[in-house]
Amino acid sequence: MTDEAGDRIPLLRAAGLTVRMGDIEVLRDIDFSLRRGDILGIIGESGAGKSMIGRVIADQLPDGFSVTSGMLRFGALDLIGMPPKDHRRLLGREIAFIPQEPMMALNPSMTIGSHFEEHLAHLGHTPSTMRRKTIEALSDVRIAAPEHVYDQYPFQLSGGMCQRVLIALAFISNPDLVIADEPTASLDVTSQGHIIGLLRRMQQKHGTAVLFITHQLALAGQICTEVAVLYAGEVVERGATKAVFTAPQHPYTIALKAAAPLLDGEWTPLASLRGHMPGLKEYRTLDGCRFAPRCATASDACRQATVPLRQKSDHLARCLYDDAEARVEFPEGAARASLGQSKGELLRLDSVSKTFFRSGWFSRKPGVNALRNVSLEIAAGEFVGIVGESGSGKSTLGRLAMGLEDATNGTILLDGKPLGRSEDEWERRIAAIQLVFQDPRAALNPRRRVVDLATQAIQPRMMRADARRARAETLLRSTGLPTDMLDKVSAEMSGGQRQRVSIARALCNAPRLLIADEVTSGLDVSVQAQILNLLLNIRKEYGIALMMISHDLAVVRYLCSRVVVMWKGEIVETGLTEEVFRNPQHRYTRELISAIPPDDMNQPWLPLLEFAKAS
Amino acid sequence: MDAGKFLAGAGLRIATIAGQLLVVSIVIFVVLRLIPTDPLAMMIPANATRDEAESIRAAFGFNRPIYEQYLMWLGHALQGDLGNGIQAREPVTRLIKTALPLTLELAFLGLLTGVVLGALLGILTFRARGTRLERVGEAVASLAQSIPEFLWGIAFVLIFGLALSLLPFIGPMNSAYIVPRQTGFLIIDTLLAGRLDAFADHLKHMIMPVAALAMMKIAMVMRVLRSSLVEVYLDEYVNAARLRGVSETAILFRHALRNAAIPTVTLIGVQAAQTFGGTLLIEAIYSLPGLGNLMIVAIRTNDLPLIQGICLTYCAIVLLVNSLVDLSYFWLNPRLRRQ
Repeated sequence: MTDEAGDRIPLLRAAGLTVRMGDIEVLRDIDFSLRRGDILGIIGESGAGKSMIGRVIADQLPDGFSVTSGMLRFGALDLIGMPPKDHRRLLGREIAFIPQEPMMALNPSMTIGSHFEEHLAHLGHTPSTMRRKTIEALSDVRIAAPEHVYDQYPFQLSGGMCQRVLIALAFISNPDLVIADEPTASLDVTSQGHIIGLLRRMQQKHGTAVLFITHQLALAGQICTEVAVLYAGEVVERGATKAVFTAPQHPYTIALKAAAPLLDGEWTPLASLRGHMPGLKEYRTLDGCRFAPRCATASDACRQATVPLRQKSDHLARCLYDDAEARVEFPEGAARASLGQSKGELLRLDSVSKTFFRSGWFSRKPGVNALRNVSLEIAAGEFVGIVGESGSGKSTLGRLAMGLEDATNGTILLDGKPLGRSEDEWERRIAAIQLVFQDPRAALNPRRRVVDLATQAIQPRMMRADARRARAETLLRSTGLPTDMLDKVSAEMSGGQRQRVSIARALCNAPRLLIADEVTSGLDVSVQAQILNLLLNIRKEYGIALMMISHDLAVVRYLCSRVVVMWKGEIVETGLTEEVFRNPQHRYTRELISAIPPDDMNQPWLPLLEFAKAS
Repeated sequence: MDAGKFLAGAGLRIATIAGQLLVVSIVIFVVLRLIPTDPLAMMIPANATRDEAESIRAAFGFNRPIYEQYLMWLGHALQGDLGNGIQAREPVTRLIKTALPLTLELAFLGLLTGVVLGALLGILTFRARGTRLERVGEAVASLAQSIPEFLWGIAFVLIFGLALSLLPFIGPMNSAYIVPRQTGFLIIDTLLAGRLDAFADHLKHMIMPVAALAMMKIAMVMRVLRSSLVEVYLDEYVNAARLRGVSETAILFRHALRNAAIPTVTLIGVQAAQTFGGTLLIEAIYSLPGLGNLMIVAIRTNDLPLIQGICLTYCAIVLLVNSLVDLSYFWLNPRLRRQ
């Protein structure tokens, strides 16, 4: 499939590519090249400009953004200079896209079949061959009943199935280049494995080049031939995947690696990167290296002029120094929550069940069994992780413990006494238990200032304003926020700062148990490390217990001494975190663990092996 | 969705409508009996004795308790007999049957004009988003929307009827034309009779009332469709289609419009119901002998059986239209179809 020349000339090449919005350089001096049949990973946190690269390739820059210099070539074609009409003709034929949110990327009022019919007609196929061709394409992506799926609507399929459909749609024109923008970001971990395996198989079968945009280092390590690490609109490091991952040279890449919690090996404290990635407006003030404010080694030379990509041992990095270090911090008294030492039972769930009813005209029919016979204890000061995929009932469990939902059966006991629904019981409950929500942007009232948000719990009390302010200050300090944030509102903060405020608010009344529902899943790796270390510090300071609800096993391993694995509303396995992860007993736990791409890129990853065997 | 389920759903719907009509008929009946007017006052000769007056009342059943009167009325109504008009001395059903077609025609044409023009303008202003044309369209629309139908009606009469003498504005058709009534709808009857001249004359008479009725709807449909298109274009599937190389025209007509139509259809449903209310004043302004004019006469003469009949007719139409709107959701939104 690949000819001699195709092997040497890159299929896609960017050099000095710069995108501006007004006087802001959104992308600065982007260089990369992708050969036919290779996978290039574009790695970066949110706001780094990863998706902007895809937009340049598709000629779909938002209003006000334009390419001001540099070149972008697709084979012999100049993608920057070519007429928009010709550019558009490439899309869906030679260049295909696999989108981020599969459920959203299919038209809800069209059947799967009609999506294909439209696309095939666009590609010039005659109506008579369409159905057969579609069925073929659907079977190719391992959809079991393609004839059935053909007539279904997107909302009748799961996210993983929708992504299969979109992969089939992308490869049906046998494109030269596929751009996959975080194709598994919104999927469960077990579907992620299947989708990545499938993508890799299709890529190999068609000899396609893939631009793989992701924020997950381990994932990129498994499938990419080469990677480019993006930070604040610049490529800070690039080269062969192995070279970049085994010996990263740029302090950002090093810090990013050190900030990711690991699934196996010795427990080590995470080094969390200080501060946050600059926003677009801050680019103006950063003339030189954009990473300088977070770098411990940065000198005046770094700050004054742009730093070029330089050859370092076996790959390129945008750094003047050979041993630069990022400004990182470790949790105080580096210690994971000690292993399951109960200091007396705090919260106890006794065969709790929850059924959601569907209400009809005359009757209530049982709908979903969200929880079945769940029993669980949390001791004072204990960190317990609840893991499982979406629909496993883990969030329902948290909401029941908090009292946001009522259990259908079973009892919940606090300090050995059952919790009822009366006003007094509620007071007792919220004095001891607090919940931190997944999305801090939605959980914080956008019109209230931090000082009011953080001290919401003591608002009903008669209290002098300055006493309240003092309390807020203490809380901010405990959560690692500068006290000059007291008078800010939610819109003025970054995602990590918002989540800290949300945690500060939960701590206000010194609760004994914190329920954290996916509190880091919306955050970037480097910010996630800050929050995880914060939780460890809080444990030290307040002696608090934690119920950590998460789909991320590595996060749970980092924080929790004990883990509970949930599947379809039931607890399928529970025990000490280390033991469960090292020697999982239940089939589902094993599946869950093997679906995660291993931290060490040299380790084989099961989903890829399975696909290699199958093809 | 299988046919059995569909029939069951339709059956349930019809039963619900019947129940609603029953409740409405009770309300209308009771309210009309409670207002302090004497429907027979005009019938009873001024020199009638008390006994004579009583016997006339008894003949109409007005001397019995309300619930008995209602049950009597209901018994007849179920057999398709809504009684006789007190003043008109004709069966109420026949009066309504004569007047209804013109009102339906007026409302239908008004709604159709509103939807078609509104949708066209909505798409046009959407495609012109960000330009001056969009802002002008928006300004004109909000003006059109803030003027009530009857004011449009009067303004049109003054401008196009009296000042410019462009269009006729009295009655549904020049009385020189005589066309046999077959369906009752002039727009159809003139064609059935092969009288194109009469058809054209009828249309000419309808232009202003229809336009007056449509003005507000054009503006509303335009604004709602435009804003839902803006919203739908933010959805990921629009971008995904673009990345597959689908042309902008195909994105608009194949992908976006159908999804954007759902809020617009809801609006049309509400509007359709209100249109019948709007016809009342428009018919009065343009002297159209429809249900609205009949209602005005009935109210003026305290003709209780007639008022009752007309109210019920209006009500039935509104309920029917609502059901049709709900049905169109099923067509537009596959998610509902599968539940």
